[in-house]
Amino acid sequence: MSSIILEARDLRYRYPRGLEAISGISFHIRRKEKIALVGPNGAGKSTLLTMFNGMIRPDSGLMLFDNQPIRYDTASLRTLRKRVGFVLQHPDRQIIAPTVYQDVAFGPTNLGYTDDDIKRVVTLALRHVGLEGFERRPPHQLSGGEKKRVAIAGVLAMDPDVLVLDEPTSGLDPSGSEDIMELLDELNHEGKTIIISTHDVELAYPWADRAILMLGGKILQEDIPEVAFGNPEYIRRAHLSLPTLLELHRELQKRGFLLQGKKPRTVLDMMQCFEAILKKTFCQTRPGAITICNVDRDSRELLLLWCSSHLSISTGAMGTRAKQRAENEQISLDFTYGVIDKCILKALLGEDSLILTTETMVNRVYQRVDAYCRESGICIPVKQLDDSTQPIRENAGGGK
Amino acid sequence: MFEELLEDIAQKNGIREINTYLKLVTGLGAILLCLLSTSYIPPLFIALVLTGAILFLARVDAKTYAELFIVPFWFAVMSVAGIILIYGGQDVFWSWDLLPSFSLSITRESINQGMLVFCRVIGGMSAMIFIALTTPMTDIFIVFRQCRVPEVVIDLMMIIYRTIFILMDQVIQIYHAQVMRLGYSTWRESIHSFASLCGAAFIASWDAGEDLIRAMDARCYDGKFALLGENRRVERIPGLVVVVFLLLSTAVVIASGTITII
Repeated sequence: MSSIILEARDLRYRYPRGLEAISGISFHIRRKEKIALVGPNGAGKSTLLTMFNGMIRPDSGLMLFDNQPIRYDTASLRTLRKRVGFVLQHPDRQIIAPTVYQDVAFGPTNLGYTDDDIKRVVTLALRHVGLEGFERRPPHQLSGGEKKRVAIAGVLAMDPDVLVLDEPTSGLDPSGSEDIMELLDELNHEGKTIIISTHDVELAYPWADRAILMLGGKILQEDIPEVAFGNPEYIRRAHLSLPTLLELHRELQKRGFLLQGKKPRTVLDMMQCFEAILKKTFCQTRPGAITICNVDRDSRELLLLWCSSHLSISTGAMGTRAKQRAENEQISLDFTYGVIDKCILKALLGEDSLILTTETMVNRVYQRVDAYCRESGICIPVKQLDDSTQPIRENAGGGK
Repeated sequence: MFEELLEDIAQKNGIREINTYLKLVTGLGAILLCLLSTSYIPPLFIALVLTGAILFLARVDAKTYAELFIVPFWFAVMSVAGIILIYGGQDVFWSWDLLPSFSLSITRESINQGMLVFCRVIGGMSAMIFIALTTPMTDIFIVFRQCRVPEVVIDLMMIIYRTIFILMDQVIQIYHAQVMRLGYSTWRESIHSFASLCGAAFIASWDAGEDLIRAMDARCYDGKFALLGENRRVERIPGLVVVVFLLLSTAVVIASGTITII
């Protein structure tokens, strides 16, 4: 278990001449966790989020960052806000400057970086969110998803430890939402703690490490998503809906099927449940192979050569740069979200697949596939496009 | 909306990548030459060249350009009509004694003066539109900073620039909401709807202002607005074209002297 980064002790807050928005909340968040704050409108989610970077000072109770109580003098708040980045719900409200470059540079400029450093961090942040070449565009010409990315880049440029996002997927189309969630996943994988508030149970359920259910300024439940979203009574009270997979699982249990193990979080987990019920494995044939293309390392020629020799193969891309690369090379993508699981599903059907991904995510493919192999006893081969550049594999040797 | 349209065209015009100073010098130089000229020919020459540049170099749609031109054009026609009637002069073609001490007349001098003013307006307008259509505001901010305009003024301009579009969006939304519920069906209703539109826009802008402060605070605002980008380098060919254009125009100004239309 990693150390605690944010902690709240009995927070209370009342808006001037208003109702009590936060009435006694305590919780803690560990480093590198992905937290989803879920609850109906007016549950106090946004208010709570704005306490994380000291925008709102609680009336009573204590907010701790890195085991230090937050101090509300200007200098301490600056340090805090550099380390806890906050992305507002409406990007239009967050984007201040007339061009994308200037907006992303806003934070670093005010932190007193030198011109060269500013240029470097802005370029890096824009590259991260996949908006290279947008530097001189004015924000009002961008789409909703692009604006959201600019807002995230503006915060990323300050290199915070914790990213707090208020409703990151509101107003985006489903694929845009998935892209944002994947971006958050990628950032989390690079070591950032991520806290989001959302209504979208289906998106939060497979994504979060832990979910906090809020209602009327209080925490209703705080647990891993399977448990937090698994209580129909709480879900009803919080005006949410049960994730489809959990509902399916519940209905199967009601019909007398004894389902062992953890509750399903993904379609892949659900398949395993069905296998348990039907007492047979779906993988009748030899499982297909998953090939990983590291877009940061593998050359264009190699990729195109490989693609031309493996026509009509299912291709997925993980990470912003990988998706961009696919677009540049005009490779049509079959999966852009939950890529590893979908490729495992393909492999179980005996079909091969290709995953385009970035340097940092390569190991994650191995980890996930290995974990699945250990659980199911099916060995799915994973190989890299360029065999000569095998990285050090963590958790290697899965499968039987 | 018109303002958005102009800025959008400027953002993706064909000569956006040319150094901002070159474009500003072209436009401002052309205006200056139009004013200095004592003949009607040089402004027409400038208008012709700049219109060509707008249509073929910046690749602005001819219809958009014509629409932009039509309003000042009619304004110029009306003012010039006034000038011709009241300017007076010796060589009278037509005259009408409206009042004992005031008469309307058309003279050789008044026609010449009217024609000169009219052509100056046309030349100046094309230069203004040239700047507006080829140089987005975001590039002009950079020039302002390099010209040592006070930081506070530039920061304010940038915030206003950004806010205009947000406010405009909101106003359009409120307006549509009103139209959909028949807000402007009668004259009385129109006045009422317009008043509530203004009120709602005011509240929206107040809200946006508070949000702006919060957004800036959340990103460690310390009195510094973001750095601006860099200007593009002056390239040889565009620089040469501008110099040739200005020299040629000056030559036309000198050569045409005081040639008049009649």
